[in-house]
Amino acid sequence: MRLTALDSHAENMGLKRGQGLAEARAIHPALVMVEEDEAADKRFLEALADWCDRYTPLVALEGRDGLFLNITGCAHLFGGEEAMLREILLRLEQMGLEVKGAISSAPGLSSAVARFDASQIIGEDEHERVLAPLPLAALRIDDATVQGLAKLGLKQVGDLLEAPRAPLARRFGTQLLLRLDQALGLDDESISPRRPVAHLSAERRLAEPVQAEDDILELTSQVAQSLKPGLEARGAGGRVFELVLFRVDGKVFRLKAGASRPLRDAARIAKLFAERLKDVHDDLDAGFGFEILRLNVLRHEAFDHAQKDFEGEDERHLSLADFVDQVSARFGPECLTTYQLRESHMPERAILSVPALGHIFKPVPMPEAAPLVENALSGKERPLRLFRHPEPLEAYAVDVPDGPPIRFRWRRLTHKVCHAEGPERIAAEWWLDGEDAPTRDYFRLECETGQRFWVYRQGLYDQIANPSWYMHGIFA
Amino acid sequence: MAKNALAQETVFALRETIARLEGKSLPALAAAQASQAGHPAGGDEARIRTGVDFLDEALDGGLPCGGITELRSDGLRHAGALSGFAMALGCLFQRAENRPLLWISDRMTASDAGLPYPIGLKRFGLSIHRFLHAAPNRLEDALWLAEAALSSGIFAATFFEVRGNPAHFGLTESRRLSLRAKAAGRPLLILRHGGEEEASSALFRFHVEPSLASPRRLPDGSMLGGSIGSSVFHLTLEKSRNAAPLSLHLEWNHHDRRLIALDPTERAFSFERPTALSGASLPKALDRQDPAPPLGAVLAFDRAS
Repeated sequence: MRLTALDSHAENMGLKRGQGLAEARAIHPALVMVEEDEAADKRFLEALADWCDRYTPLVALEGRDGLFLNITGCAHLFGGEEAMLREILLRLEQMGLEVKGAISSAPGLSSAVARFDASQIIGEDEHERVLAPLPLAALRIDDATVQGLAKLGLKQVGDLLEAPRAPLARRFGTQLLLRLDQALGLDDESISPRRPVAHLSAERRLAEPVQAEDDILELTSQVAQSLKPGLEARGAGGRVFELVLFRVDGKVFRLKAGASRPLRDAARIAKLFAERLKDVHDDLDAGFGFEILRLNVLRHEAFDHAQKDFEGEDERHLSLADFVDQVSARFGPECLTTYQLRESHMPERAILSVPALGHIFKPVPMPEAAPLVENALSGKERPLRLFRHPEPLEAYAVDVPDGPPIRFRWRRLTHKVCHAEGPERIAAEWWLDGEDAPTRDYFRLECETGQRFWVYRQGLYDQIANPSWYMHGIFA
Repeated sequence: MAKNALAQETVFALRETIARLEGKSLPALAAAQASQAGHPAGGDEARIRTGVDFLDEALDGGLPCGGITELRSDGLRHAGALSGFAMALGCLFQRAENRPLLWISDRMTASDAGLPYPIGLKRFGLSIHRFLHAAPNRLEDALWLAEAALSSGIFAATFFEVRGNPAHFGLTESRRLSLRAKAAGRPLLILRHGGEEEASSALFRFHVEPSLASPRRLPDGSMLGGSIGSSVFHLTLEKSRNAAPLSLHLEWNHHDRRLIALDPTERAFSFERPTALSGASLPKALDRQDPAPPLGAVLAFDRAS
């Protein structure tokens, strides 16, 4: 076992990363050791990245212990770069973290300075001066290259700056020079943010943290109001919203809610979150309150102005939309479903169950498919309830070859058939199921007790020796 | 004299309070309304007539639009009849006002008794434009959903399916639902698969059992023997204002979308149809969809010259 991280006290005692644990213990028997948990470290870093969302939406993870914040266009909101850096470091230190930071125009340079130098802001013309005294490891290159360069007597970045480039590239590959150029800001480097940037976003910073659900909703409504001009400018309404709540101790909650049609109205947006908050009630621990509240529009769609006066039925349609939104926000979109008709003779394929959110207001059949779908609707006898998976049944006596079962056993009960209608033959869809998929013969059966079933025989007697029977649905 | 009048006033007030608690129309008002419009008593809330006179009479004028009607079966094996009768009632409600329908079922029932199949529902007579199906995970969620659906007033009818008599769905919950239904004027149909009789706020409770379907009617009015025509339900009205239990067979005619009472004597006669099974009583598949083509197909040959 080796040491992977040290606090400043341990560093001062002369311990090093990578040192064997036994050796370190031999030097300092009273060493306090905690086993490394990489997953937990990662979670913690992600939580910090979430917290940093308050400064910029573009936050990326760097390595195991670093964060990149792209603050282009954000610094003035916090009183300039210097004030911003000071505030970030101060607040993180207040949380009990030991943090260093640097602001520069190149991510590579910031990373090098933050890890190997004091926290500072580096101007546009100071890159070489700052970089030169740093050790080579600051360039984010692998250990083998660092050791190889050390053998040649190149130990600081400044040594590389003066060395000719061609031999370096020949001996150590282009990665070294790429990293050097990136650190100098000569080569562009893009950071990959953890989350997509919201289309629109509005936030409220609070002097006094809020805890109560009602206050949160009231604020959400106010923030939603300030999103409205942005949505209007785009001629759009939001379909998926995200409410981000920053708790005072650094924890960040994200609540997502979808709407069944594009929304602009602040009250309706707030209502989505009213349900959502009720649902997460127990998980949303307000603690000492939330200090920042942000509302993002993750997806928006064209806002239909006509929807308000739609055949004079507006009230009903809107309230159906409200109901769908309310339920979907509370229980998730899978809870409430509606259906779509498909062009298929297979009963289970003719209907597709889809979330009501997002589908309830779309026209059900496609225009060109309409006559066929109508056929599917008005055609044969279909059961009231269809089993999700056809259930096998044991047919004792069958009218061979084309007839219905006369006695059968299903769910541990024996049924005696007294009337039967059929068969309705439905051939398999060879373009989906393959050419040798068996044909089904459907029968409507009525038992002596009055129950009515829909069963089918999979396969024909002249093709399969002993075709099996399935229960597929029940009639009224 | 004045004391007497005061006492009478108090009695009237009490009577009105009791009537209101029981959900009945106020006696004085009802008398006035009956004389005015010639309606039967009970005009204070909207009712949907079932079309079967003696059933309507037993139901005080029809199914309540703002209240709970409970339907109960002996078990999941009768799920077809139970859902069928519920759908038939839903159809009656929808005929009065064409609005969407909401079907709430728990996951257990949905997997054991199957999911409502819109094509079949359409064939049964329902309008399935905007048919919603909800399957919440917990009973509490289902109750919340039913309440929200009732108070929104969007749905022509809300179906609420439970299995047995769950502990968390007792008198208090059903009272809540009943108040919601009453406030919004929308019906709630509770389907209890394999449930016991239980105290609830439902205005009426039916016990539903399947019954042999009536045969298909031929154009000349005769019946096609051996066929499975309109569904028939064997109902027992277990809970109502009228003390006498009522048992009847109702047929659902999905073409006309109406319930027809079957004459018990005729029914008894029709039971004498031979039910002993022989292969011959079942249809021979003569008119199947793809009969063998006749031999000697005519081919259009090309002209020789």
